[in-house]
Amino acid sequence: MTAVAAVNVVHLRKVYRVYEREAGLGAALRALFQRQMQEIVGVDDLTFTIEPGEIIGFLGPNGAGKTTTLKMLAGLLYPSAGEVRVLGYIPWRRERAFLRQIALVMGQRQQLIWDIPVIDSFELNRAIYRIPPAQYRRMLDELADLLELAPLLHKPVRNLSLGERMKCEIAGSLLHRPQVLFLDEPTIGLDIVMQRRIRDFIREYNRRTGATVLLTSHYMADVEALCRRVILIHHGTMLFDGDLTRLVERFSPYKTIVVRLEEPADLRPYGEVLSQSEDQITLRVPKSAVARATARLLTDLPVLDLSVEDPPIETVIEQIFTQEEVV
Amino acid sequence: MRTYLRLLWTFFRVSILGELAYRASFWLQIVESLIDLGTALAFVSVVFSYTRVLNGWSADELLTLIGVYFLIGGAINMIIMPGMNRLIEQVRQGTLDYVLTRPEDAQLLVSIQQIDMWKLLDVLLGMALLVGAMLWHGSLPGPLQLLAFALTLLAGAVIIYSFVLFLATLSFWYVRMENILVIFESMYEAGRWPVDIYPGWLRAILTFVVPVAFAVTVPAEALTARLTWLVLAGTLLLAALALLASRLFWRFAIRYYSGASA
Repeated sequence: MTAVAAVNVVHLRKVYRVYEREAGLGAALRALFQRQMQEIVGVDDLTFTIEPGEIIGFLGPNGAGKTTTLKMLAGLLYPSAGEVRVLGYIPWRRERAFLRQIALVMGQRQQLIWDIPVIDSFELNRAIYRIPPAQYRRMLDELADLLELAPLLHKPVRNLSLGERMKCEIAGSLLHRPQVLFLDEPTIGLDIVMQRRIRDFIREYNRRTGATVLLTSHYMADVEALCRRVILIHHGTMLFDGDLTRLVERFSPYKTIVVRLEEPADLRPYGEVLSQSEDQITLRVPKSAVARATARLLTDLPVLDLSVEDPPIETVIEQIFTQEEVV
Repeated sequence: MRTYLRLLWTFFRVSILGELAYRASFWLQIVESLIDLGTALAFVSVVFSYTRVLNGWSADELLTLIGVYFLIGGAINMIIMPGMNRLIEQVRQGTLDYVLTRPEDAQLLVSIQQIDMWKLLDVLLGMALLVGAMLWHGSLPGPLQLLAFALTLLAGAVIIYSFVLFLATLSFWYVRMENILVIFESMYEAGRWPVDIYPGWLRAILTFVVPVAFAVTVPAEALTARLTWLVLAGTLLLAALALLASRLFWRFAIRYYSGASA
């Protein structure tokens, strides 16, 4: 058997047709008879391959095309052009063998039934996915254990907190032990502790089952903690695909030098001072000047400690997107 | 087939659990059903205090018709309407995406996804009325009549299901469709009377635009020995065509949904 890539995307494009009308009653009335159609490019010319077992982070501002991409991969949208394969299947055909192996979780949209206990919603999924009883029990035990669901299972969904609900939503989507997970903002609106719990769980699930995980998130911490590889999308096109660490190297022209001195000194000649506390100063220095600046600092001043760091990924990404806005 | 029945049963069980969360709705349903029944019977008794036959229907035959009206109406409101209302909601909230990622036919899932079990009361009332009407009439329908009744009842349910599915599916294009289901519900009330008492234009509407005639009048005709072979065959054919058409329309709508929605 040849190894099938978990996800294979070639020149993927999605164009939405939307009806537009200008503001005002007159325009609204005219639109009843003649609608102006406009094409909006949601995703344009995406090409990437994801190997089984990878955890990939999709990054991009709102409206960048992350969700559109995820939906095309999950078989919910037809591509306008290009090719998509997930586990070797063409997603939009929605073959049962394919759907049985994937799961989609959208942090903003709920799938558990509001009025009934969590366990009964799970039971429904068991019936729909036709999970054999023994496997169901094993998986439920495992998930309940990892996510500490035991006290929640017999409560109606409406009595759960947002975080508890999210844990249950995720567990419910994994009962059939999917091989590919599409997680669209799985931690949105959760507090830090709960975010970390969900993150740890995703990592653990990936480790145990070898499932491929595609994740979008607004929280850089999610991506940093989980994904070695990220795909950066902006205005529907791909800006970057590769290691998170390389992203910083590639896009940030600066490094940060943190210096501790024996006595205060003016460091402005060495670089841009970002912050200065009693004995610790943070400088921003162009990459090309880092070696020279470090050498000069060490010779000129009574340095106690010095370290060169990459700027936080969050800052780098923010820069990328705002720069793109200007261009 | 057995797996489908099991799936239906699971949905049914889950719906019962959901309903049990609101016990008050059980009592409300009893009150509602009794008021409906009382109104229907009151109208009939008023009408038959002036005449002994209404356009060829005697009082006990009209009672049969009301029985069918409750039976079919209860079944529609128990299984079809809740699922369709939820479908409209799912389209609006975007949670239909979840249904479409399930390894099961999406039409089947949305059709049985919610069951309002208290409406079973209307179904039972309808059956009781049918039995009552037969006792009043003093004779039991023959096996052929019962068979025709069962067939037309099923066909009527299929026609109504197809029609309501068609209406609910329109929500893929027009997001506010709950109102149209309410319009359907009030049109269905016209089915309390045999459609042939209505003027021609209204009869046409109740037959072909909102197919209440097939759901109520035709099965009642079957039970009261009025049904012709032609109407029986036509009803069955129409049911098959309606089911096929709604299926095709559903698939077309899903394709549209996948192609255009954000």
